[in-house]
Amino acid sequence: MKISRKWLEQLVDLNGIPDQEIASRLTMLGIEVESYENFSEKYKGFVVGHVLESSRHPNADRLHLCRVDIGGDVKDIVCGAPNVGAGQKVPVGLVGALVPHNQHDPDGNGFELTRAKIRGIESNGMICSAFELGLGDDKSGIMVFDNDAPTGEPLAKYLGLDDTVFEISLTPNRSDCLSHLGVAREIASAFSRKLSAKRPRFHETGDPIAAKVEVAAQDLCPRYSARVVKGIKVGHSPRWLKDALEKAGMRSINNVVDATNYVMLELGQPLHAFDLNLLSKQTIVVRRPNPNETTFTTLDGKERRIAPDMLMICDKEKIVAIAGVMGGMNSEISDGTVDVLIESANFLSTSIRRTAKRLGLSTEASYRFERGVDPDITLTALDRVAGIIEETAGGQVTKGTIDITASKFAAKRIDLHVDQVNRLLGTRLASGEIKRILDSIEIRSEKKSETVLVCSVPTFRVDIEREVDLIEEVARVYGYEKIEEARQTKLVFDTRFDKSDLVDEIRLFLAGAGFNEIVTNSLQPVHVASEESGRYVPVANPISEDMAAMRTSLLPGALSAVSLNLSHGIKDMKLFEAGRVYALSEKKELVGNYSERSPISLVITGFADPVSYDRQLHQYDLFDLKTEIERVLKRLQLDNWDFISYDSSRIYNQSLKLTLNGMDVGVAGRVGDKLLEKFSISQHLFFAELDLLQITSVNTQTKKFRSLPKFPFASIDLSFIVDSNVPVGNMTSSVKGVAGKMFRDISIFDLYTGKGIPEGQKSVAFNVVLGSDDRTLNDEDVAEFINEAETQLGREYSATLRRQKNR
Amino acid sequence: MPPMIDEILKLKEEATVAAGRLNSADEAETFRLKYLSRKGLVAQLFERLKDVPKEEKPQLGKSLNELRKSLETEFESAKSRIEGQSKVREEVPDLSLPGRKRYVGKMHPLTQTAAEIKRIFTGIGFGIADGPEIEDDYHNFEALNFPPDHPARDMQDTFFVSDDSGKFVLRTHTSGVQIRVMENNKPPIRVIMPGRCYRNEAISARAYCMFHQVEGLYVDKNVSLAELKGTISYFAKELFGSEVKTRFRPSFFPFTEPSAEVDIGCIFCGGKGCRLCKYAGWLEIMGCGMVDPNVFKFVRYDPAEVSGFAFGMGIERIAMLKYSIDDIRLFFENDIRFLNQF
Repeated sequence: MKISRKWLEQLVDLNGIPDQEIASRLTMLGIEVESYENFSEKYKGFVVGHVLESSRHPNADRLHLCRVDIGGDVKDIVCGAPNVGAGQKVPVGLVGALVPHNQHDPDGNGFELTRAKIRGIESNGMICSAFELGLGDDKSGIMVFDNDAPTGEPLAKYLGLDDTVFEISLTPNRSDCLSHLGVAREIASAFSRKLSAKRPRFHETGDPIAAKVEVAAQDLCPRYSARVVKGIKVGHSPRWLKDALEKAGMRSINNVVDATNYVMLELGQPLHAFDLNLLSKQTIVVRRPNPNETTFTTLDGKERRIAPDMLMICDKEKIVAIAGVMGGMNSEISDGTVDVLIESANFLSTSIRRTAKRLGLSTEASYRFERGVDPDITLTALDRVAGIIEETAGGQVTKGTIDITASKFAAKRIDLHVDQVNRLLGTRLASGEIKRILDSIEIRSEKKSETVLVCSVPTFRVDIEREVDLIEEVARVYGYEKIEEARQTKLVFDTRFDKSDLVDEIRLFLAGAGFNEIVTNSLQPVHVASEESGRYVPVANPISEDMAAMRTSLLPGALSAVSLNLSHGIKDMKLFEAGRVYALSEKKELVGNYSERSPISLVITGFADPVSYDRQLHQYDLFDLKTEIERVLKRLQLDNWDFISYDSSRIYNQSLKLTLNGMDVGVAGRVGDKLLEKFSISQHLFFAELDLLQITSVNTQTKKFRSLPKFPFASIDLSFIVDSNVPVGNMTSSVKGVAGKMFRDISIFDLYTGKGIPEGQKSVAFNVVLGSDDRTLNDEDVAEFINEAETQLGREYSATLRRQKNR
Repeated sequence: MPPMIDEILKLKEEATVAAGRLNSADEAETFRLKYLSRKGLVAQLFERLKDVPKEEKPQLGKSLNELRKSLETEFESAKSRIEGQSKVREEVPDLSLPGRKRYVGKMHPLTQTAAEIKRIFTGIGFGIADGPEIEDDYHNFEALNFPPDHPARDMQDTFFVSDDSGKFVLRTHTSGVQIRVMENNKPPIRVIMPGRCYRNEAISARAYCMFHQVEGLYVDKNVSLAELKGTISYFAKELFGSEVKTRFRPSFFPFTEPSAEVDIGCIFCGGKGCRLCKYAGWLEIMGCGMVDPNVFKFVRYDPAEVSGFAFGMGIERIAMLKYSIDDIRLFFENDIRFLNQF
C-alpha cells in the first residue's frame, strides 16, 4: 500500500521528522516500510521551462536548438524530440540533475546531466520525455504541459509530487493500517504526536433523506449507512484529488467515484456511490440472491455467476452490486448522474472473502472487508465524502443519514494480567508502564487490582480479541529490541527424539565414494510420474502441465540432471539423491491414502574414473553399480542381500531386484535406450533406487563385537569348467553351502573363455576362505571340502574341477 | 683340530661379513679378486690341500668346497643386491606427476546447510522430528489457527491434491509437524523439524515451487520471548559468525502471538546498506514467535500451564545468504559445476 507523507500531514503533525525516521520506526512497529521515494529529491534540478524559440540545428537535421526560459534565466538547449516547438511549457532538467531513465540505455538506467557539446553546439540542459522522468512509457517525444504551467516552478511541485510516498507491506492482521488514518495513528504513538481531529465540513440542505434501506440479511451485514447528495455535476476531479489518488496507485475516474476512493484511502472505509435515480423506488435492499438470480454484470462489464449464499445489494427489482466486492453497470455513476446514494457499510469478513474467492475478483473494497473494517466509522466516512462531493461536484447534501445496525459497536473489554505479560515476554514491566504503553495506541485501561488491568480496545482494532493479543501490543510498542535475550541453561534429558540422522551419514558416505548429491523437483508431468506407476498423486492446481503430479520415482529427476550436465560437456557422472517419492496407497495412511517413501538413488554413467596418465579407462557397467550398492549395504552392517534378475523392460534394459531377507528393498539396472532418448542421453546409464528405511529396518541389532579368530584360515583356489550359461551366482551359493560352518569368505578371481577351454564352456575360479573357531584346519579338512565341492558342482552344474591350489 | 680347518672357518666368517658390506660393483670386483679369483685366498687354500695328510684330505676338501660355494653364493647375492640398488636409483619416478584422479563427491549445498542448522540446534538440546509432505488441511492450516475463509491463508499460495474432499494439500510450511509432534508427545518439547514444502508461486530467481524449511518448537513451563531471542541470536552467531547482529521486529503469523520477523545485520556490507540488503542494512532470515494459545488448545495443551516458542526458516534463503547465491533455481538444476563449489 502506498502512503503519502503530505496526506499523513493532514492527519498528524510530522514536523521535523525525517522520512528515514518514519520508515524505520514504522518497520520496528510491525508496519513494514519496504521502500520510500521522495519526489522532491528525485526531481531536484528539474523545472517547468518555457520554450521561447526553436530552430533547426545547423549540423543535424533531426536536432533542434531551443532557447528555454527556466524562470529568470534563459538556457540554450539542444533537443532531439520531433514534437518540440516554440511556446510550449516543458519539463527541463538542468546541469547536475539526475535523469531517472536513459531512453538509449537497454536497461533504462539513469544518468547525471552535464554541460555537453552536441554536434558542435553547447547544450545546457535537457527537455525530457515521460519515460525519462519515470512518469510513463512514452518515449516518442517530450512531455508538454498546459500553457498555464508556471515557468520556473520546480517540477515536483508542479506535478503535485513534492511529497514522499512510502510503500508499506502489511500483515493480514493489521487491517486498521489499510488507510492513511491508521498509519497516522501508529506514527502518533511512535513519536508521541497528537492526531489532528478535523471535523468534515459540509452543509445539509433541502428535504430530509427520502431513500430507503432494508437489510434483510443482517447476519452478513452488521451495519448499513447511507447518505444522499442531490443535484451534482459529474466531471473531472480537481488536481489535488487526482494527484492524491495517483500517488496512492489508483486511477482517477470522475469526481464522485474519486471522492469515495479518496475517503477509503484516508479512513479505510470502502464506499460505493449509486445513481439514485437508477434505483427502483429509491430503495436499497441488502439480501441474498433469489433462486432465479444467477448472474450479475459488474462495473467492469463482466458477467459474474452468483451463488445463493453471496450477499447482494439490490433495489426493489434487481441486484445493483455484489456487496463489498464490486458495483454493477446498471446503477453506475455516469456523466448524466444527478443524484447519488453513498453506501458506507460493514459486511461480514468471511462472507466477503468467500464471495471474492469464488468470483476470482479481488478489489480494494473486498481486500479491506476481508481483513476487517472498523464498524464504527461508517458515519464519519459518509460525512467526509459528502464534504468532498459538495466541494468537487456541487449539489446539496440531503438532511440526515440512514444507519441500520445489528448492535452497538462498543469497545471490547479484556482483562490483562501483568504477570502474564512478564511471563510470556520475559520482562519485568510494572502495571503503570503497561498502561502507558497501551494508552499510546488508544487502548484505555483501568486498574482492576494491583495486577490486573481492564482494557478497552477501540473498534478499529478488529484484530485484538484476547489477552495474548494485548500482550503482543505491549511488546510491539515497548520495543522488541528492548527485551533482553535470555539463554536456557537447563540440560535436556529427552530420549523421544532423534539427535542424529542416518540419511545424513549415508550422504557423507556416498559423497566420500565420489558421488555428487542432487536435489530434484518432486513435481513432474503426469506422463512422467505415471511411467513407473499408475498410482501417482495428481496436483489439482499445478503451475503448469510440467508439474502436475508428484514423482513416483527418483529416476526422471536424475535423468534431467544427467541430461543438463551432458549438455555442458560433462559425460562422466556419479550422482545420488535422497528424497521422497509419493503414491496413492491401497490402504489408509497417516494422511489420507497418500504414502510417502524416502529412497536413495544412485546414478553412474561414463568412465569409472577420470582420465589419468597410466590408467586403463573403464566404462561403467552394471557391476560397478552393484559394487556401490554393496558398499552401502556393508556400511550398514548387512551381509544377507541378494540380487535377483527380473524383467522391467519398460524402464530398464537389464535389471536386478535387491532383496534382504526375502523382502524387496530396491532395484538396479541399465536404463533402457528408449527412456534415455527422451532425455537426449545417448550413453549407457546405470540407476539404482534403494528403500533406505526398509533396508535399515532389517538390521536393528546394535553393533556387537565378535572375538577375533584364534586360528589361521585356509585359503583355497578352485577353478571349474562349466557350461557358459551357468550363472556364477548360483555356483557361488553352492560353494558357500558346501563350506557350511567353515565358510568365511568367497571371491571370484578369474573368469575365462577361449584357448584351452572347450567351445561353449567357461572357466570360473573361486578363492574360498575357510576357518574354524576352535582349531586350525588340517589337510584332511581342506581335501574333504574340495572333494565335496567337486561332487556338488559336478552334480548341480556338470562342472569339472580344473585346478585346485591351497594358498 | 688341524690348523687348516680353522683357517677355512675364519676365512668364511671374514668373507661373509665383507660380502654383506659390499656396496658397489668395484668393491664386488675387489672382493672377487681377493677371495674367488684363480689366485685368490680360496684358491690358495685349495693349493695347500695337496700338502695335507691323506687321511685329512676328504674332510678338508669337503669343507673347502663348501667354503667356495658359500662365498660364491654370497658374492652373487651381493652382486644382484648392488645391481638392484643401482637399478632402483635409475628408476626413481617423476615425483612431479600428480596423483591419479578420482571423482570427489559433495553433499548438496542445501543438505550441507540443513546439516549445519541441525548441528547447531541438536547441540543445544533440540531433537529432530519429521512429518508428511502431503498434509491435511487440519494440520497445515486449521490447527495452526488459520480459520477457514481467513485472509491469512493468502499468505501462502497453496497446491491442492486432486481429491474430491479438497482437504489435502502439499504442505506450505513445516509448521504442521509442530502439531503432529504435540499431538503425540507431552511437554516439555524441544525439536526441530526440517523438510520440503511447496508454494504455488511463479518461478523466478527468488521463488521456486518447492523449497525447504527448518521449523523449531520449544514448549515448557515459562518459556518466554526473551528466551526465543536468546536462542535465535545464538543460532545466528553460530551460523554467520560471532559478530553478526540480530534484530527482531513485530510481524504476524496465525500460529504465534506475539510474532516476529528476524533480521541479521547485512553480512555483505556490514549494515551500511548495499544492493543485496536493498540498502536497509538488514537481511530477513526467519519468522518466529510465541506459540498462540489457540494452537495449544488444538493439541490439548493448557496455555495457562505451558508456553512455548516456534520458529521457521527457509534453508534456501539461508544457503543463498551463506554462499552468496543469487538465483534459487540453481539449487534444483543440479549443474555439477555448481554442486562442486560447495
